[in-house]
Amino acid sequence: MRPAAIRPIALALSREIALTALLLLGVSFVVFLILYLSPGDPFSVLLEGQTVGDASRAGIREALGAPRAWYAQYLSWLGNMLKGNFGTSIRTGLPVFGEIVRVGLNTLTLTLGSLLITLCIAVPIALHAAVRGDTALSWPLTMLAYVVSALPVFWLGYLVIYVFIHRFGLFPLISGSSAAQEHAWLYFMVPIAVLGIGNGTVSEVIRYLRDEMSRVMAEDYIRTARAKGGSVWRHAFKEGLLIPVTEIIASKIPFILGGAVIVEQVFNWPGMGRMAWQAAQDRDFPVIMGIAMVAAAFVRLGSLLQSLVYAAVNPRGPQE
Amino acid sequence: MTAPPLLKIENLRTYFYSRSKQAFIRSVDGVSLQIARGETLGVVGESGSGKTITALSILGLISAGPGVISGKIGLRTDTIQKNLLQDLEMYVTLGQRDGKIMDVAKDEAGWRENAERIMGRLRGKEIAMIFQSPKSSLNPFVSIGNQITEAIRLHTSAKDLKGAKERAIYWLERVKIDSPRLRFESYSYGLSGGMCQRAMIAMALSAEPSLLIADEPTTGLDATIQSKIVDLLAELKSEFGVTTLLISHDISVISRLSGSVAVMYGGTVVEYGPARDVLSAGFAPKHPYTGALLASVPSARNIQQKAYLQVIEGEVLDTINLPRGCRFYARCNRVTEAIRKKCAGDEPDLREISPGHHVRCWLYFE
Amino acid sequence: MKHYSQVAGEISQYSDLPFWKKAGTTDLAYVAYGLFVVTLVLVSYALGALKLLPYDPQQISIGLLNAPPGSGGHLLGTDFLGRDILSRLIVGIQAYFLPGLLAIAISLSLGTALGVVAGYRGGSADPLISYFNDLVDSFPRLVLILLVIAAFKPDIYYVMAVVGVTGVPGVASLIAGKIRFLRQKNFIEAASVLGLPTHVIILKHILWYNCRTLLIIGATLGMGEAILIETSLSYLGFGVQEPTPSWGNMVQAGANYFLQGKFWPSTAPALAILFTILGFHLLGDGLNNILEGKRNK
Repeated sequence: MRPAAIRPIALALSREIALTALLLLGVSFVVFLILYLSPGDPFSVLLEGQTVGDASRAGIREALGAPRAWYAQYLSWLGNMLKGNFGTSIRTGLPVFGEIVRVGLNTLTLTLGSLLITLCIAVPIALHAAVRGDTALSWPLTMLAYVVSALPVFWLGYLVIYVFIHRFGLFPLISGSSAAQEHAWLYFMVPIAVLGIGNGTVSEVIRYLRDEMSRVMAEDYIRTARAKGGSVWRHAFKEGLLIPVTEIIASKIPFILGGAVIVEQVFNWPGMGRMAWQAAQDRDFPVIMGIAMVAAAFVRLGSLLQSLVYAAVNPRGPQE
Repeated sequence: MTAPPLLKIENLRTYFYSRSKQAFIRSVDGVSLQIARGETLGVVGESGSGKTITALSILGLISAGPGVISGKIGLRTDTIQKNLLQDLEMYVTLGQRDGKIMDVAKDEAGWRENAERIMGRLRGKEIAMIFQSPKSSLNPFVSIGNQITEAIRLHTSAKDLKGAKERAIYWLERVKIDSPRLRFESYSYGLSGGMCQRAMIAMALSAEPSLLIADEPTTGLDATIQSKIVDLLAELKSEFGVTTLLISHDISVISRLSGSVAVMYGGTVVEYGPARDVLSAGFAPKHPYTGALLASVPSARNIQQKAYLQVIEGEVLDTINLPRGCRFYARCNRVTEAIRKKCAGDEPDLREISPGHHVRCWLYFE
Repeated sequence: MKHYSQVAGEISQYSDLPFWKKAGTTDLAYVAYGLFVVTLVLVSYALGALKLLPYDPQQISIGLLNAPPGSGGHLLGTDFLGRDILSRLIVGIQAYFLPGLLAIAISLSLGTALGVVAGYRGGSADPLISYFNDLVDSFPRLVLILLVIAAFKPDIYYVMAVVGVTGVPGVASLIAGKIRFLRQKNFIEAASVLGLPTHVIILKHILWYNCRTLLIIGATLGMGEAILIETSLSYLGFGVQEPTPSWGNMVQAGANYFLQGKFWPSTAPALAILFTILGFHLLGDGLNNILEGKRNK
């Protein structure tokens, strides 16, 4: 990268990082607020869980004394979280942070993989629509996209499982032994494919990418490129495809994560989503709070990466 | 014997379709023009007269339907000789009523493929075009230098990066951009409108085209910059002798650069001839519209005399709902009782009234 | 082959076709289908509330398990316990209808109120709205809901209240944007100069005349979302519990039978979800295109 281009990127990045930090702070406050308003006193339990060692735990309760002010509770919880101490699970007694990391990777692969699948479906359709305009294929494809986006993903999962059992004789559920089997990669592909197709955003992604590419194709500089016999694709790519793709990915990550909760149930995939479901059932708030924070962090990370790409591509530096 | 013209447009028709009104917008309705080699033809007219659409039709850059539906555009350069609208009749069927085209059936996909096959090889290489609003016409994500080298590598023999870059810098210098080596790396957002336009000119000419189309090259720029750009174009014209089609609504720009002038109104050419004849403020025969245009331009004389600027009454022609007779009839201030019926009822043809000078007006017919 | 035909005779420069003739046929079809779905939902809700059902949704009929549609007077067949599927689907609407309305009511009313304030206040409110928008967007919807369920209880109304609140910043920014756009047009100033009291200006001129399309479209998309959320939740076991039917728990209950080859008990509610959500989406998109005049321009 040219030296002249680095300073504005550094500026853009630091602004985005600051914004992200501020947002994560807001997220933590919302999470705290919800628990604070919950009946009972979840916080003493939570804070106890964040303290190490049984012996000191009883002492802490006394040391903490009777009802502490909410901001003190918030700050000590937050302080612990920043140190990586998310407390311990009410159900298993295991440290939450470690548990989330263990399963978080699985959810990460599921999420990223399905994003890729969604793009593989949406990008060709969107580009075709933007460049070719209305063809005989346009309406059936649009309708298909609408139907796929309204399909309940859990039912789609069962359909796919059924096909796999009866066609391939496989049972695509993740279990301890599945990784060793010869068709292991298939087990991973299936939930990813199901989430990639059924997450309900396909229709919007297609529409957004198509609209952005159409808008760019109508720009003056594309007309100039055409007039000089240059490659329209090369000129339209950055603003018409690269940037919109990063934008739409960043904005759809929350939906994919939500879909992951369901898909992990259907396929028994050991990820954060299934852990969250379990935690909601058991009212295991340290776990669910930790997962909420991690999920939000993941979303914001996606947003940050998108800003980075935008700043790197745009010679003007960060501009909305 | 005069050499055959470089560009010869015959009876070009380019229509658009308004779905909400279910009617044709007859942007270019039977335009015939020609440009001799080395000459500059200035096309002047107000907004909506069809000048820009004519230029876009030549290059095949019309996207909305139905687009070009009839005509012949002959291009004759050193290397090629072609009708750019070849085979158009195969793809279009016209239906007429009362002499007006009322139905168009066009195989748009087929025509577009056909046009791309022909034009793909010519755009940038034989015919180059520069546009209004130069800042938005340059790619904001690519340096101007790289946009010029793209043209050079596509259309000239300098295919290598280094050679192309040197050529590009030469051209940046030629269009009077200071510190060309530095400016090579600049982006359009960091340059003024005037500099962007110079870069566009460099980009167009570096490909060494046979025909340059300049669509309102000075509109949108500051007045002093406009003048500089016109000077630059005049210089480049005398140095390289590039055949030029210059489009502008600004008569002063046209008069400074053109050898011949065509005046367009309502999608047709209403007057056409050597610049000296068409633009003379004297008593030479001319179309009432041309006369009104010339009279409405502020000049040193009428500022001194504190005369009122002449206004052309009426509104811009509605190209959907064309009147039956002469298109300018509603706004004409030179209609006489003797020809009033003809003006209101029939559209006049373009007739030659003195060598090389054609006018479309009943005033000059018998 | 494209055909273009001009209408003969005088074409007025100022008249235009009425919007329903201008609109593309696809958009009209979308809206028609969407309205059909909405009517169906409303009627079914009423039938369910008034208990006007063909069969008792809980009634088990051992002789007629997993019957295909049409058998023995059951229009949509029976499930794995012989219960009438049509009746269960109709009752299933109760699970999401009122809660969905709650979510829509909260997001539209609070969102509009805040949007109006922000629109009038001008630029200073913008970064705040943008911050809250980003804040709300940072949570995957389901995760936030699970958090709420863990903290309180799996009550669909609590959940929908939260969903409503998450919709507020979005509505607020749309309304604020619209108001800012309208203010540039001066008629608001004109109206207040004419002496119209502020609340009349806001309610009548801004909201009713100019924003109602936005709000209607927001309501349709909101209901679609509510259905998605409620069905997902009851699928996960947090919503309505068996034997009370909800479309989500019907799919879940029929899952085992699905894998044995008996598709219908799971598929019928899934199709209901599909066609209903589709209806709301198409209605919202179709209305949007017609009223914004985007297509066929």
